[in-house]
Amino acid sequence: MSAPDKGAKILIIDDEPQIRKLLKVTLHAHHYDVAEAGSGEEGILQASMSHPDLIVLDLGLPDMGGMDVLRRIREWSQTPIIVLTARDREEDKIAALDDGADDYVTKPFGMGELVARIRVALRHVAGSVSEPVLRFGALTIDLAMRNVELGGERVKLTPTEYDLLKTLASNGGKVMTQRQLLQQVWGRHYGETEQHYLRIYVGHLRKKLESDTTRPQYILTEPGIGYRFAVED
Amino acid sequence: MRQQVYLWVTVANVILTFVFSKWWPTVELVNIALLYLLPVLMGAVYGGRGPSLYAATLGLVSFNYFFVPPFFSFAVSDLRNLSTFVVFYVVAVLTASLASRLKAQLKESERKEGYTASLYAISREMSAFTDIQSLLHNVSDQVSISVGAPAVIYLPDDLDVLAVSASTKQPDDWGSGDAELTIADWVYRNGNRAGKGTSTLNASKGLYLPLRTEDRVHGVLGVKLDDVVLSSDSVSFLEALGGLAAIAMARVKLSEEAKLAQLTAESEQLRTAILDSVSHELRTPLASMIGSAGALMDNDALFTSQDRMELLGTIRDGALRMNRLVSNLLGMVQLESGMLRLRKQWCDAEDMISVVLSQVRDFQHNRKLKVIIAETIPPIPGDEVLLEQVLTNVVSNAIKYSPDGSEIVIEVLTVGAEVSIAVADQGMGIEPAAIERVFDKFYRADKTSHLPGTGLGLAICKGIVELHGGHISAAPNGGRGTVITIRLPLQNQENSLEHMLERSMDAHERTR
Repeated sequence: MSAPDKGAKILIIDDEPQIRKLLKVTLHAHHYDVAEAGSGEEGILQASMSHPDLIVLDLGLPDMGGMDVLRRIREWSQTPIIVLTARDREEDKIAALDDGADDYVTKPFGMGELVARIRVALRHVAGSVSEPVLRFGALTIDLAMRNVELGGERVKLTPTEYDLLKTLASNGGKVMTQRQLLQQVWGRHYGETEQHYLRIYVGHLRKKLESDTTRPQYILTEPGIGYRFAVED
Repeated sequence: MRQQVYLWVTVANVILTFVFSKWWPTVELVNIALLYLLPVLMGAVYGGRGPSLYAATLGLVSFNYFFVPPFFSFAVSDLRNLSTFVVFYVVAVLTASLASRLKAQLKESERKEGYTASLYAISREMSAFTDIQSLLHNVSDQVSISVGAPAVIYLPDDLDVLAVSASTKQPDDWGSGDAELTIADWVYRNGNRAGKGTSTLNASKGLYLPLRTEDRVHGVLGVKLDDVVLSSDSVSFLEALGGLAAIAMARVKLSEEAKLAQLTAESEQLRTAILDSVSHELRTPLASMIGSAGALMDNDALFTSQDRMELLGTIRDGALRMNRLVSNLLGMVQLESGMLRLRKQWCDAEDMISVVLSQVRDFQHNRKLKVIIAETIPPIPGDEVLLEQVLTNVVSNAIKYSPDGSEIVIEVLTVGAEVSIAVADQGMGIEPAAIERVFDKFYRADKTSHLPGTGLGLAICKGIVELHGGHISAAPNGGRGTVITIRLPLQNQENSLEHMLERSMDAHERTR
């Protein structure tokens, strides 16, 4: 990955000094500037004072709870936020994503995974995805022509399938919750009760795009949360 | 009731007088006098002493007035008739008192029978009760029916403070006030009765009896007496009933203690297994991690970069192994404590398997994972994350216990109203004797002891599958390896949900 995110400033809000140290050392090694906050209050203050380009927020903060920090920051800032959560807290992840977090990483996490998420989030802010033609390996999505090609051959999609693919692909690399997808593709009034719509349409899309539907290359399932459109890094 | 008896006696008297006046003088005077005893008996049987004396007087007056000369006058001409009056009156009085005493005895024995029936009902219930609270409610109801006064049962809470545990319906809140609680508490602490009719706090409205067995007081029975005066056998009855309630509570306590003792013994056994497993599964990776990290820090210059990578890999693998253990332990605790709630939604088998395959990709090495999914698998109602965890666990086991390069087949099909997911490997297999036990907590087959593992994975799988109303089983895979089969129930397939959905979505698509 080349230059756009080099030197970006990342604020880490986590009460565990060990985790902060790990993140600081490795993010430095990836040429990011790092600011730290050990509590929610301090994190909110830093977020407003030091103008970070991205925030890594631990949801399990002791003083005010990561969710509150997230909502407070979102009241005035659109800085991308990646939340760190424990493994079996799917509800928390969904709530954080629906409340404005850009992505999540589950603890214990590999640094490679976190850095990949950071890159995707920074890239979306930089706006480099507003191109008219999206290319992912053999798959090309022409947003202007509403045309999808796989290996040079046109793929016939229904309008809903196209909208779903477009929504996923233009958020490439970023996790999308079931609710976000339902609302963006089907409209405001669709919620969790219609999540099987989504499942069936993802199934249709995979049949048309993936060579092996049990080993999907493009549309990956995030268990219990939603879907993520894969991008090579 | 009593007024009615008076009325009937009077009516009977009038009828008799009328009949006699028709017959007279063909009937003897003595016979008439005898027949006038009939209303007296009637009064005695139905009304007691008062109505019978009234009937006697009325009979005597009518007899004298209408049938004894001079007629229609109270005067008596023949003195012999006067002795008839006296005999009549004495017989009437004796009959009346005998009859009314008989009646009182009958009433008394009816009451005693009622007590016996209550005691019998409660004691019969005691042999098979499951809910102490409903038993206590029955006791208080029986008390108030038998004695005719509201009753309250006080029991101590966990902090040994008395509180109302059961009470009969009553207009005012008697029983829960401070005054009543104070007396009840005194009775509970001292084990002696108090209140109305006792030597302690006689002025109070209620009677308070301790519910006691030999060694301790379990609670207090309070009865709101107001102006009712209890006979000694009513008090004995209350004590007997209270005794039964006390025995019931003692029994509950004993069975709770027994259960606790059994649980302690079981958890003792389990704790040993946990300690063995956990200490081994924690210490082994810890030792390798601490060793590797120490070596790296102390002798950095000695190692080639390849050595360094190897040591770092050891540290990572050890940490991952510990992470698996912690996840499994937490999962087990959640399952066993009932904290695990299913977030049910419609799960797609293919979708779930795609996640599982991506999870095991890093350590499957050269094993071939073959997936066979029937075209028509309906959506499965279940918790996506947990079911994926089960599948990942089963597939990881298949990888772990089978040689590199062998084939693992994941097959999904519908069987009746269930979906069956079978994972078949060509690994070391499970001894027939262990085929049930592999799903037990901390169980590990002897021949797997050289491989790391906690013996928790399949136990957790079983717990999760059973939470879904499904079933998991192990069987030999032909001659070589193991098949683990998971069966999950499908709901309401006659509605054919998928088709319904497809149709509604097609309609949606057209209207766009």
